[in-house]
Amino acid sequence: MTHVLEVSEVHKYFGGVRAVQGVSLNVREGQVVGLIGPNGSGKSTLLNLIAGVERPTKGAISLDGQRIDRWPAHRIVGQGIAKTHQIPKPFLVMTCRENVAVAVMFGNHKQRESAKALDEAGRVLALVGLEGKAEVISSNLTVQERKRLEFARVLGTGARILLLDEIFAGLSPNELRDAIALFATLQREIGFGALVVEHVMRAVLTISERVVVIEEGMKIAEGTADQIVENPAVIEAYLGVEAARATP
Amino acid sequence: MRLPAIRSFGPTLWGIGLFLIVLAGTAPWIPVFLLTVLIQLLIYATLAYSLNLITGLTGYVSFGHVVFMAFGGYALGIGVGTLNLHPVAGVALGAVVGLALALGIGVVTLRFRGVYFAIATLVVAVAALYIVLEIKELGDGQGIYLNIGFEPLSWFYTIWVILAIEVVFTYWITHGRIGYGIRSIKSDEDAAKTVGINAARVKLFLYALSGLFAGGAGGVYWWTLSGVFPYQAFDLTFSLQMLAMVVIGGMGTLLGPLIGAVAVYIPSYIFLTIFSGFQFIIIGVVVILIALFVPEGIVGSLRKYIPELRGILE
Repeated sequence: MTHVLEVSEVHKYFGGVRAVQGVSLNVREGQVVGLIGPNGSGKSTLLNLIAGVERPTKGAISLDGQRIDRWPAHRIVGQGIAKTHQIPKPFLVMTCRENVAVAVMFGNHKQRESAKALDEAGRVLALVGLEGKAEVISSNLTVQERKRLEFARVLGTGARILLLDEIFAGLSPNELRDAIALFATLQREIGFGALVVEHVMRAVLTISERVVVIEEGMKIAEGTADQIVENPAVIEAYLGVEAARATP
Repeated sequence: MRLPAIRSFGPTLWGIGLFLIVLAGTAPWIPVFLLTVLIQLLIYATLAYSLNLITGLTGYVSFGHVVFMAFGGYALGIGVGTLNLHPVAGVALGAVVGLALALGIGVVTLRFRGVYFAIATLVVAVAALYIVLEIKELGDGQGIYLNIGFEPLSWFYTIWVILAIEVVFTYWITHGRIGYGIRSIKSDEDAAKTVGINAARVKLFLYALSGLFAGGAGGVYWWTLSGVFPYQAFDLTFSLQMLAMVVIGGMGTLLGPLIGAVAVYIPSYIFLTIFSGFQFIIIGVVVILIALFVPEGIVGSLRKYIPELRGILE
């Protein structure tokens, strides 16, 4: 069965701050959806709402028709939705292998035997190119390696829908090209769905089947990459009203 | 959950096991004076392992562990004094009361983190004394006197069994799947939740287990004193001694609480015979020095600086 994540009319208020105001979108397994918008537009908040880190003030989030918006984070992971952290949060006292093994043991797979989980973790680390670092304590990793570990841990949970928060940020042009190619390969092989928050336009436009644009907590556009870059509302959000008028 | 295979137990567990078996075998021939010291030591070791389950393994510092110990004592008092139970059954009742209390307190206090949790447990400990003082059935502020005999061997074997079970439990939950979950929570609780760990449940499980053993240890402690008395039972010094033992021995290790209990109890017992009160100054200075310079404690530091010991000590 193909899993479908549906977000409908979700709001999140922090006191007087309206971080998310009535956003709706959906992600199917096997489909990559980009989520873009200026800084502070509510992208990360939206991911946190889906992952169960925060609870929506209003609106519904459902997986295959079942409401999940009141569930705690660990239960949502158990149903196959897992999120990376914008600032990587590895378990600093553990090796890379153990970091991923924890995800294998407690995520969607629920591998109860730790020896098997450690084996599986080695396989997942190889997928993201961290096989050489398996026995390294994760506090010794560089920021980019930590991001890969973060991605490996999400894959380790066996999630069918991934929530990826700026995994391509801070890469050099060459690294970015490699990372995009790696992501596309893994996505094809594993067939997961993903909601990708990203500032790196080249990455998000290349990998996404559809792109959702939000500004000040509201959805202003949705469509294919080509439609999005020509949408006047999007241009205005990023470059201002004058630029939008100047575009033919 | 599967039990680990016996051959995988490792030198530390075998070592502690051997130590306990030798004690159990020789206890009837140990002079009574020495035996009572040994009983106190085992009680403190049980308390240290109890605190280690929550504070050592998850990093949640509890100042309120004296509460479980005290209510273990009161359960013994009611069980033996009112219900006419055998003292061992009274100790078992103490353990059950400790468990129930930890579940109730933990559901609320474990929502707080860091210093807020520490303060919440401290508040519970202080409040508990004043609540007990008002309850008529719990001695009406005077405590409960028990008319039971001097039975050092019964005390010894009761606390011995509790400690042995506790050490095996500590080993069991730190190895295998749940051990990884616990280490993740200690390392980064938010990240642990986002890989699917039910952090609230794991913490409550550890806290309840901790309350169970502290309640049992409290039962034996007040059994040796033939009664339970509120101001002594809720003395926060017990909490501080447990913390000192876990910190000095090595937080979250299997051997640390035992080493810590020896390192804190024996010197304070010796100082007690010279001049009372001075012992806490020594403990305080040692804890500060350890926290500043060797935060891993004795066992953690040995593991850190002597790599050959890593496979042996845990």
